[in-house]
Amino acid sequence: MKRAAAWSILLVGMLYFILPLVGMVEFSLSMKRGVYSFEAYRVVFADPQFRQTFSYSVLMAVLTILFGVLLVVPTAFWVRLKLPGLRPYVEFVTLLPLVIPAIVVVFGYIRLYNTSSWLPMTGSVTGTNLLLLFGYSMLSLPYMYRAIDTGLRTIDVATLTEAAQSLGAGWFTILAKIIMPNVLVAVLSGAFVTFAIVMGEFTLAALLDRPAFGPYLQLMGANKAYEPFALSTIAFIITWACMGLIQLVTRLTKHDKAAR
Amino acid sequence: MSYLTLSHLEKSFGPARVVKDFNLTVEQGEFISLLGPSGCGKTTVLRMVAGFELPTSGGITIEGQDVTHLRPNQRNIGMVFQAYALFPNLTVAQNVGFGLKVKGTPKAEIKGRVEEMLSLIGLSDLGNRYPFQLSGGQQQRVALARALAPKPSVLLLDEPLSALDAKVRVSLRNEIRQIQRELGITTIFVTHDQEEALSMSDRVVVMHEGIADQVGTPFDIYNRPATRFVAGFVGTLNTLEAKVLDAAAGKVALGGAEITLPGPLPAGSVTLGLRPEAVRLGNGTGPQLQATIKDVDFLGSVIRLRADLAGQSIAFDTFNTTKTTPPKVGETVALGLDPADLLVIGG
Repeated sequence: MKRAAAWSILLVGMLYFILPLVGMVEFSLSMKRGVYSFEAYRVVFADPQFRQTFSYSVLMAVLTILFGVLLVVPTAFWVRLKLPGLRPYVEFVTLLPLVIPAIVVVFGYIRLYNTSSWLPMTGSVTGTNLLLLFGYSMLSLPYMYRAIDTGLRTIDVATLTEAAQSLGAGWFTILAKIIMPNVLVAVLSGAFVTFAIVMGEFTLAALLDRPAFGPYLQLMGANKAYEPFALSTIAFIITWACMGLIQLVTRLTKHDKAAR
Repeated sequence: MSYLTLSHLEKSFGPARVVKDFNLTVEQGEFISLLGPSGCGKTTVLRMVAGFELPTSGGITIEGQDVTHLRPNQRNIGMVFQAYALFPNLTVAQNVGFGLKVKGTPKAEIKGRVEEMLSLIGLSDLGNRYPFQLSGGQQQRVALARALAPKPSVLLLDEPLSALDAKVRVSLRNEIRQIQRELGITTIFVTHDQEEALSMSDRVVVMHEGIADQVGTPFDIYNRPATRFVAGFVGTLNTLEAKVLDAAAGKVALGGAEITLPGPLPAGSVTLGLRPEAVRLGNGTGPQLQATIKDVDFLGSVIRLRADLAGQSIAFDTFNTTKTTPPKVGETVALGLDPADLLVIGG
């Protein structure tokens, strides 16, 4: 009896999550009257604006990941190694993006870095792109920091660092050859989440007026019927592909057992 | 000039003085053990030699060069850690070759040296394995090979045997000593295990509360302890209170017998130390003490007995042979000793 009740609850839960997705996919395939087809997807893929915004967001996602890794790995490493007392404060700072809305951040950016400010970053495309990159990095900070910090927790950072130092290694070698490879799975976890966040982000990109995928999704949603659902399905697939990749990388990492 | 010199080393963490005026000179190829209880400062001394801690004052020289303020990666020191500290992402061969790679050694040379080191530790076939695929003893041997591969000027061993089981510990300590002798590398070994320190070292430094209480050969440390702490910490020691009968003549009353010690004594009473193996069971030459057996511990080759000696507890050992039966609890026995074995450890 208990087992049946448990299964029923699970089934209701799954239906609650899956039915809207099924509805979304089904509607995205219904562009042609009476038959299921990929017409909406064909239209989307044929749209030059889709290709432009999608590739722009992919590029921004990759840059954000690189910037995030370069910022967070040394920071988390140093805090764990030399400044363990500061960990609660650093964690608090990294959590701030979860409580400060993106709209507040972007208006702060615009106010601080507008064309009449001391650092007019919004005055050029490169400057605005940089602002967007920093904004994306900030949004992904809670996930990136937590993932990497958890990865660092699984290895004996202090002893490995000292062992490498005694063998003549400097800080760069230690980070690149010892620490990074041992937290690679954690870094990739953070990277994939960052990728998913950047691909769907709307507020920063729209208000900084950059041709990203998020504003394009919104634009299509406001003007078309079937295409937005095809786009949502694509975005959904990207997110799940990222999650799947995290799992795959975790399983395929050869030395992973040793790091635990 | 000594190969490695630690002069007036001091280290404080906040208000706590962990190492106090520590002095030591080590000759090339010597095996020195820092022995002491937890918190005595032995690891801190080792970490200062490695460069992981900066001394509050004092200096360290290696081959006449002052290395006190050099970074750890500039000192050419090999170190083996208690927790192995092998790099999990690298294979055994890559771990061993890491130091050479960092130095920019040509690949062919690294390959040769790695093979040589793996052969030295008897793991030639395991070069392609990852650390997690090795046992604790194998991992520690790889750690030793990795530390030795770049030909360091000094090898530092920070309790490398503590995480291993008893059998592996004994075989690995012999192996470490043999390799150290073979390579003639100057070594500092930190341990809290007196058996390890006494069996492996050329000299032992017994540390207590940040101070080197005694520096000497294992024989001296065991047989001629310089302080009460050394006497109590190294080996098992009976401490017996004796009444001084004639201070100038060194005569004391102990367990109902009058014993004359080799040197003069302070007046009043003295605390004497006596190793369990210095006590003989049964009548013989020398002073005879009467004691009542309180406890008999069968330890295999040795039987440890505890007895009451005029209100004081005394432990002593007797070899286990099939020809003799050990005394029973409650039995009164005669104990013999050589007065020269009695250590005066307190007035």
